[in-house]
Amino acid sequence: MASPLISAAEVQWITAGVSFNIRNDGRQREDFRALSVQLGVITQATGSARVQLGETDVIVGVKAEIGSPDPDRPDCGRLVFGVECSPVASPAFRGRGGDELSGELARALERSFYPGPSGRAGGVDLSTLSIVSGKTCWVLYVDALLLNIGGNLHDALSVAAKAALADAKIPKVEVVQGEDPTDEPGYEVDDDPQWFSLYLYEPDYEVDDDPQQAQRLDVSRVPLCVTVSQIGAHSVVDLTAQEELCSSASVQVAVDESGVVCGLTKRRQKGVDPSVALEMVEVAQRSAAKLHAALAESLGGQQAQQMSVG
Amino acid sequence: MAGLEQQPLLTDGHRRDGRAYEEFRNVFLNTGVISQASGSAYAEFNNTKVMVGVYGPRQSERKVGYSEQGRISVDVKLATFATRQRGVFGQTPEERELSALLATALEAATNLASFPKATADVYVLVLEAGGAELAVAATAAALALADAGIEMFDLVTACSVSRAEGALLLDPTTDEAAREEAGLTLALMPACSEVTQLVSRGPWSSSQLREALELAMGGCAQLDALARQVLKTAAAEAATRRQQEAQRQAQQA
Repeated sequence: MASPLISAAEVQWITAGVSFNIRNDGRQREDFRALSVQLGVITQATGSARVQLGETDVIVGVKAEIGSPDPDRPDCGRLVFGVECSPVASPAFRGRGGDELSGELARALERSFYPGPSGRAGGVDLSTLSIVSGKTCWVLYVDALLLNIGGNLHDALSVAAKAALADAKIPKVEVVQGEDPTDEPGYEVDDDPQWFSLYLYEPDYEVDDDPQQAQRLDVSRVPLCVTVSQIGAHSVVDLTAQEELCSSASVQVAVDESGVVCGLTKRRQKGVDPSVALEMVEVAQRSAAKLHAALAESLGGQQAQQMSVG
Repeated sequence: MAGLEQQPLLTDGHRRDGRAYEEFRNVFLNTGVISQASGSAYAEFNNTKVMVGVYGPRQSERKVGYSEQGRISVDVKLATFATRQRGVFGQTPEERELSALLATALEAATNLASFPKATADVYVLVLEAGGAELAVAATAAALALADAGIEMFDLVTACSVSRAEGALLLDPTTDEAAREEAGLTLALMPACSEVTQLVSRGPWSSSQLREALELAMGGCAQLDALARQVLKTAAAEAATRRQQEAQRQAQQA
């Protein structure tokens, strides 16, 4: 990504402002910009959300499809993350220009949802997405689109991902006794009677179209990411694009509602002292609590409205 | 295999491979393994085998914008036979992510101002992925950079810690990492005690995180002593070679 230019005087101005705890837009070091969350912006998606954090603007759409589970976790569903850097946001994203950034964002998001060996310990309990153990499950594609880049993309993305997952309604699926698999074309059955019986009871499933039957995901454990950056000798959150150019080190910290750290990634060029790194994590935990509260309020209001309309 | 997956990772304070919780696998580090490269290193932590070649500083092969500072471009590739499931040709998203994480780990330690406008290409080939690839690659890559004679503020050593079955395990294997509740990788400049990379997944409470970081820092310090020893030995050998060469030339004259 071609970085916008910044003059030495501007860097000095911003750095000095941060040291006095007053930023260009009047915020303090640990203040977020105004957060706006709109649910259900894409009707074709299972769940969607548009998040604006200051100038930064992202959309996340969740699509639920039926697929096959990960062989390591046969009784769990899957979450697949993708981020698309649209050239709309920056001409630098034309062609393969956005690949690096989108990969970074998507992998960091994926790490923050790490489900643990059982598949139940992550932000979303993946076992709730299972349909037929080892055969079929829900695969949730969490796809993000960057519309405008105004700094702090990763935090905005994580908020949008949580909001979109909260908005998602997974259709009800009923597992029914399948037909004789020998009817299927090209399906060969072993002569061994033991194997045969296994195939005979192959379950099938039916998806219920009724939206009333659809269930919401439990997103209470989904973490939100707070990127804490060092400007001068201070930790600052929610940087604008200009401020990002003044920062030499940052740590992306995913924190869940109870304050537990669910994912860390260090970015940018400079190293930090271990004690400073831990301090940055603490700042992230403090800020994340505020962010979680702000999102919960916004989600609660909109979902209540949807209920009354629906 | 299925039977083994059910068995616990830890028994009587020991891991499956007989190690204590806070013990490294057998570590082997070496430099100067690729004659074509400006600098190179090989690292082996039992089943994790990584080879790194550094080329440059030189003109960037990719078309990139002007940069006053030097750049480090990192390219990580897992051999197709490195993992249990066969890999693919070409870089996967995971490998691109590893490259980005590794670049961050190395940039802070390198004096980028010493090669303005040029790029040092760091090519990492994971021959076998037996766990903690990022950490092993970072340690090896820093050695290769030093071997290439690129100015550095400090070496970088890195190690991983897994929390599995209620214990903190240093330098986890693939099996252990697959069953971890949470894990982290720390890259450190040990002499000046600066964190250059910190990646984690899974839930960590503040106190657990502190404890794991301390364990990882201890591990990094251990590796640092070994890495420095390797560099010193390599330098001494090179000096002896030069001396012998000079003697031979003097005799011929």
